[in-house]
Amino acid sequence: MGRAIGIDLGTTNSLVAHVDARNRPQVIAADEGRPLLPSAVHYGADGVIEVGAAARRRAPERPVDTILSVKRFMGRGPGDIRPEDRGISRFDESGTLVRLVVAGGARVVTPIEVSAEVLRVLKRRAAEALGGPPGGCVITVPAYFDDAQRQATKDAGRLAGLDVLRLLNEPTAAALAYGLDKQVQGTFAVYDLGGGTFDISILRLDHGVFEVLATGGDTHLGGDDLDRVVARRLLESGLTPPAATPSPAVLRGAMAAARNVREALTTEPAVDADVELPEGHRLHARLTRGELEALVQPVIERTTGPCRDALRAAGMAGVDGVVLVGGTTRTPAVRRHVRALFGREPLVDLDPDTVVALGAAVQADALDRGGREDVLLLDVIPLSLGVEMMGGVVEKLVLRNSTIPASASQQFTTYADGQTGMVIHVVQGERELARDGRSLARFTLKGIPPMPAGVARVEITYAVDADGILQVAARELATGLEQAIQVKPTYGLGEEEIEAMLIESIEHAEADVTERFLREWRVEAERLLAALDSAFQVDGELLSAAERSAIEERLAGLRFAMSGDDSLAVKAWIETVDGATRVFAERRMDKHVRKAMAGHRVDEFAGEPRTTRPESDEEH
Amino acid sequence: MTCWSCHGATAKSTPFCGSCRKLQPIGPAEDHYSLFALPREFALDPRELERRFRDLSRQFHPDRFARAEPRERRIALERATRLNDAHRALKDWRRRAAYLLKLAGQDVFGEGRTFHDPDFLEEQLEWREALALARADGDAAALAGIAARAQARLTALEADCGRFFDEQDWFSESVWEIARRLSRARYYDNIIADAERGAGTP
Repeated sequence: MGRAIGIDLGTTNSLVAHVDARNRPQVIAADEGRPLLPSAVHYGADGVIEVGAAARRRAPERPVDTILSVKRFMGRGPGDIRPEDRGISRFDESGTLVRLVVAGGARVVTPIEVSAEVLRVLKRRAAEALGGPPGGCVITVPAYFDDAQRQATKDAGRLAGLDVLRLLNEPTAAALAYGLDKQVQGTFAVYDLGGGTFDISILRLDHGVFEVLATGGDTHLGGDDLDRVVARRLLESGLTPPAATPSPAVLRGAMAAARNVREALTTEPAVDADVELPEGHRLHARLTRGELEALVQPVIERTTGPCRDALRAAGMAGVDGVVLVGGTTRTPAVRRHVRALFGREPLVDLDPDTVVALGAAVQADALDRGGREDVLLLDVIPLSLGVEMMGGVVEKLVLRNSTIPASASQQFTTYADGQTGMVIHVVQGERELARDGRSLARFTLKGIPPMPAGVARVEITYAVDADGILQVAARELATGLEQAIQVKPTYGLGEEEIEAMLIESIEHAEADVTERFLREWRVEAERLLAALDSAFQVDGELLSAAERSAIEERLAGLRFAMSGDDSLAVKAWIETVDGATRVFAERRMDKHVRKAMAGHRVDEFAGEPRTTRPESDEEH
Repeated sequence: MTCWSCHGATAKSTPFCGSCRKLQPIGPAEDHYSLFALPREFALDPRELERRFRDLSRQFHPDRFARAEPRERRIALERATRLNDAHRALKDWRRRAAYLLKLAGQDVFGEGRTFHDPDFLEEQLEWREALALARADGDAAALAGIAARAQARLTALEADCGRFFDEQDWFSESVWEIARRLSRARYYDNIIADAERGAGTP
């Protein structure tokens, strides 16, 4: 079995990590040699799907077909889409789930499928780095994610062909990485401000036990919100020609500019933004750090309430330390706010961008090995789970901040004579009325024997597993009749839908892989041709005419293969050329070594063919 | 008892099969106290409860069984769930008291049971009035004072309950005394929550 991996599936960027042979968690390069894979997916009209930096680069020119920050839509319905999240995307609002129209209108995808594309790339990169397909995996989620959002994340993992061992809360993952690396003890707050979500968790770390005492947050608060207020200011002060209501394309361009300005102001006292925007607009504005901080302060203030609530729920007046997680915590104003709030200098020893993935890798490795003697994670459910009663009031069964796995049951009775069915509405959240909470599922319990009102006793049992995902069971006690209930989640995918998507994705995956390999082998072939071309110019005299023509013949074969779309043919011709030029390469080596020994520089070998290999071909 | 996996005989009280070491389901007679091997008493050392909770969690947490066969995985999930539920019920003195009453067949807070405590009504009004006044004035010091006074009442109620449970024949004599105090404790909890919420919003 392959090595276990940990995945941080982020709003803006995603990462994958593993635990190496020396038992240290390591991040794997996921995109263009960098650890951060932008969580961007581009659906081309030609059916080609691109993920990461390449997809993000397409965003300005193909805004509708490029999905950014899809995490905001996970486990959500069309009615949940906030106006500022609509942006430029096209939605199909006919179903219960959010659906996005992409590929020039040719495809409709759910956020689960979009996330699966990101996960698929991470899986592939891990396979390349580890020399084989990965084993089990842990995917992190914001601690404040509700049941529907967790289920959606798990479904995305399944769709990507991952063996999801566990969903892990992001702050808990960070605490795990910190606790093991820095050997910290005591009570800690993990302040996690990412691209789109805010989480606060209070943990007690005691000799390898990581016990979450309380958690809170806001699944709609993050760096994107900071960028939005900055973008608004930039547009007001520096858009030419001005526009009263800028188009979504202009807004997206302004958001990107705002992000650059905000990041630059981390180190610079003032920054000039000067960018071309779509539709003939130009954005030219200057912003100082003081102005930035005044702008973002109200947004950062929104983290105060959840922090205070979490401390109170944990029964703590203060903490021994604060750990910062998420790229947005690099903003100096955020750090200052955290310092004031907790009266502690925040800990930033570990990179806030990678710490979650590292913790996930540790947990994945531990799970894969049947647990670790020195580590125990005790996490909690972030939001109470209840059932709607007559009159629309919610009766809470499992209270928030309960250690998971957890269960609770409650008895209900019929309110009418001869009543044989009962509607059970499962609700998550702290609000008193069902309509204010998150509706997770609604189902009808049938087959209750007709009895006078109030005689039948139906026991509803909620069971929350270690991923924070709920299962519901119901039993009629008077008759002992037990009913297996298929809970159809309001914002989830049915089993059949998942099956269908799996089949479709396997077909797509094959097309994707072929396309990608073809591109990569073409690039490799071009590199080889260029290298040989310059080698012939420098050292052509090392070959006889017959040798030279044998090589040229094979080069013609390679060029022909490159014009087709058979990646295996390109690869085969590269190998043929490689074989035919080996003697030439050896002679060149000899010549240059002699020259080097005669006082020449060794780096004249630069023209040597085949310096790099594309990734392994195990996936063929 | 027969082990589900190797079909060998297992001791009733051991969680793991003596021969194949597979995790065994929880017996039907286990309750929150017996899971922790603690005596059925109201008095409880919280540090001891935490120590046992962590010890048992290390043994049964589903993390340890992620790669086990499905049946053993289910058993671990069930055990960890029961352990967490029991821990939650025992660590808080109000829930612990209610659980002891329930074990004695007195589900005083069950469905349809409302508790009348006329002596307490007047005091309730006074608390509410003080709270409303402090909140209207935005007086953080007064709110903190109210929370502290309610907390002192809770401490006294806990001690009261301890005394009633200590009585030789607590069941027949003291059930309603304890129930009344639990009902009052719930009220003070709400007062504290409201006072703290009031202090948190400027």
